[in-house]
Amino acid sequence: MIRDITLGQYYPAESILHKMDPRVKLVGTLAFIISLFLFDNVYGYVVATIFLVMTIKVSKVPFSFMIKGLKAIVILMLITVIFNLFLTPGDALVSFWKFTITKQGLRTAVFMMIRLTYLIIGSSIMTLVTTPNNLTDGMEKLMNPLRLIKVPVHEVAMMMSIALSFIPILLEETDKIMKAQMARGADFESGNLINKAKSLVPLLVPLFVSAFRRANDLAMAMEARCYRGGEGRTKMKPLIYHKRDFVAYIVILIYFVGVIMVNYI
Amino acid sequence: MSIIIDHVSYIYSKGNAYENKAISDINLKIEDGEFIGLIGHTGSGKSTLIQHLNGLLKATGGKIYYNGEDIYDNDYNMKKLRSKVGLVFQYPEHQLFEIDVFQDVCFGPKNLGLSKKEVELRAYTALKQVGLADEYFYQSPFDLSGGEKRRAAIAGVLAMQPEVLVLDEPTAGLDPKGCEEILELIVQLRKDTNITVILVSHSMEEVAKYVDRIIVMNQGGIAYDDTPGKVFMNYRELEQIGLSAPQVTYVMNKLHDRGMPVRTTALTVEEAKEEILRVYGRHF
Amino acid sequence: MGIIETKNLVFEYIRRDKDGNADGVVRAVDKVDLDIMHGDFVAILGSNGSGKSTLAKHLNAILYPTEGTVWVDGMDTSENDMMWEVRQTTGMVFQNPDNQIIGAMVEEDVGFGPENMGVETKEIWERVDESLKAVGMIKYRKHAPNKLSGGQKQRVAIAGVVAMHPKCIVLDEPTAMLDPVGRKEVIRTVRALNDVEKITVILITHNMDEVIYANKVFVMENGKVVMQGTPREVFSRVEELEELRLSVPQVTKLAYELNKAGMSLPEGILSIDELVEALCQ
Repeated sequence: MIRDITLGQYYPAESILHKMDPRVKLVGTLAFIISLFLFDNVYGYVVATIFLVMTIKVSKVPFSFMIKGLKAIVILMLITVIFNLFLTPGDALVSFWKFTITKQGLRTAVFMMIRLTYLIIGSSIMTLVTTPNNLTDGMEKLMNPLRLIKVPVHEVAMMMSIALSFIPILLEETDKIMKAQMARGADFESGNLINKAKSLVPLLVPLFVSAFRRANDLAMAMEARCYRGGEGRTKMKPLIYHKRDFVAYIVILIYFVGVIMVNYI
Repeated sequence: MSIIIDHVSYIYSKGNAYENKAISDINLKIEDGEFIGLIGHTGSGKSTLIQHLNGLLKATGGKIYYNGEDIYDNDYNMKKLRSKVGLVFQYPEHQLFEIDVFQDVCFGPKNLGLSKKEVELRAYTALKQVGLADEYFYQSPFDLSGGEKRRAAIAGVLAMQPEVLVLDEPTAGLDPKGCEEILELIVQLRKDTNITVILVSHSMEEVAKYVDRIIVMNQGGIAYDDTPGKVFMNYRELEQIGLSAPQVTYVMNKLHDRGMPVRTTALTVEEAKEEILRVYGRHF
Repeated sequence: MGIIETKNLVFEYIRRDKDGNADGVVRAVDKVDLDIMHGDFVAILGSNGSGKSTLAKHLNAILYPTEGTVWVDGMDTSENDMMWEVRQTTGMVFQNPDNQIIGAMVEEDVGFGPENMGVETKEIWERVDESLKAVGMIKYRKHAPNKLSGGQKQRVAIAGVVAMHPKCIVLDEPTAMLDPVGRKEVIRTVRALNDVEKITVILITHNMDEVIYANKVFVMENGKVVMQGTPREVFSRVEELEELRLSVPQVTKLAYELNKAGMSLPEGILSIDELVEALCQ
């Protein structure tokens, strides 16, 4: 299960999406996520689905990769679905004991489920086709104007970039620590909620200690390579817009406008 | 105590594009009191194999019998198996987490549901077995030196009082002083308790010096399973699969190739010295 | 003056007990004098706690001397405004292959150093190409570093340092966490850098078999340099090395034992072939 978390993992391929400027992808993903909450009829979902499917096809990333990320939020989805199913007032469809499923409840639950799914897939695509460094470069460039009001844009971008690249390493470490504690009889599965929480201590303490140690080592390595913040830094892969990026911006705009208009059908 | 591994295979991510046969068709018998060295190139399946011995990984094919019982039987108590087969992972000091060393070593026996008295007795015994002085017991594990941390971590597994001790590269990252201390600890442990030991190692010299039996893994399968002397005779083949032999093995074989009538079975400096003197002795 | 020179170098720190109170002073480096020439391949041997890593961290201004001076290419490392120059002159590669990687792609990681130095984009690419070629990892340029083997990761780390065009590279126990294959790769790369690119190399290690290619070896214990010389000279002092609990390679020990028993083999034998030759005379 731990290996299945695809957020933060880059999938190398030669697609137009991979080559695109990260700023376009960031704006596009943000626009997509916002759009998911802007419509409330079936046509909206149809347009969103078309956009998503097209994007998936163009990305050349196997569909199976994107689905993997959903496993992690299955619980959240289940909770959302159940809440919406049973707690939405309206015309009753099915009743048993004290619980009623309403027509509106079913509709809301299904739409919520689709929204969550698309949200996860959309964000996954962004991290699958963009290297973390590229992503944070994009964020840094987009947030640059904030420097004028003293926001440490570069430092924040650097922190995010490092955090992203350490996700797989820390996940692997969690696996190892879990196994080592299980070899000493630790049980992470059985017991009530309190027991399970307690059983996390032998997992989290070593993990934190390890994370701090790594951070220390990394800081030393960065200083040894003359890192001194954003001042005077040049870029190996400076972000320059190409024609394909402008085309993409137009496509995103058309999609966004389309999704809003569809609300009035 | 006996472990029988019968046609065991393990496939990662079975059924999708990333299917990877980590080990395939392994057949082994481990007897009571043996001291076995498990060697193989990185990726040969050593780590995967040892995680099957205490049930952390479940074989996708084949059976494993501990003392004659099928560990994959529905009624089999896996937790009990983990107390019988102690597994010390690489860099075991990364598992330390408690307020002090003593509490950390108590973690294992506590998980077995033993009485407080028994838990503390086991922890104390284990700490003595790894040679940590009393003054370390109430220190934070994070304040110890690298070698001391490692010994504390090994004590954490010994406190389970296993019948079999499996150590995955217990000397990794230690300096020569530290390596020697850990290996001496293992030898002493065997003397005192006759515990069965499986030592995974990358050092041919280490393995040649201490173990009675060497199992060589290659690409998920077993290439050799014999005494050190016999295994290292195949030093050329071992090189092909990313391993080597102790330096003296090469010396003896090269001397032999040059026409010197030396036996090529020496594995340690002592043995090589004896043999060379025996042959050259006549010349002075 | 050599490229690296230290005079009477002392480094002390305050040891604290578990409540954070001062418990005494530890002298990690005790009056060390070094004079390393341009193009040297120097090895610093010692067990853990001998002070070798602490000494290494003075060579690129990560640590400052408590007493004494360290000069890197004529620059006094304790002068604050020279710090970045010092770090560009002396590059450092550390022990843990995972904890030195910044980039999500090999070439991006190698470019990190030049980016920090403000090198122009075009030149960064040239340097990344040359460095990756020099360590033999050019094929992996677009790979994700965390999927590489330990030895490969370390070679990428070395390339990252080479791309900064340092005059000297310090490697602090670069092979301690690697398997034998990885160790060989790294030592081979380091030798090539010294032989071909003529970069001064300082290798810190506790493995004696890595040291045989150096032209100068320093052995440390308790913060002091207790032995120095060519590998051959140092290796011939088997008893002292064993007292320091350093692991003498089997061939060296064997030659020594044979000599003790009356044979007359040359001193300080370093390799299998040397021993075999000597025995076949």
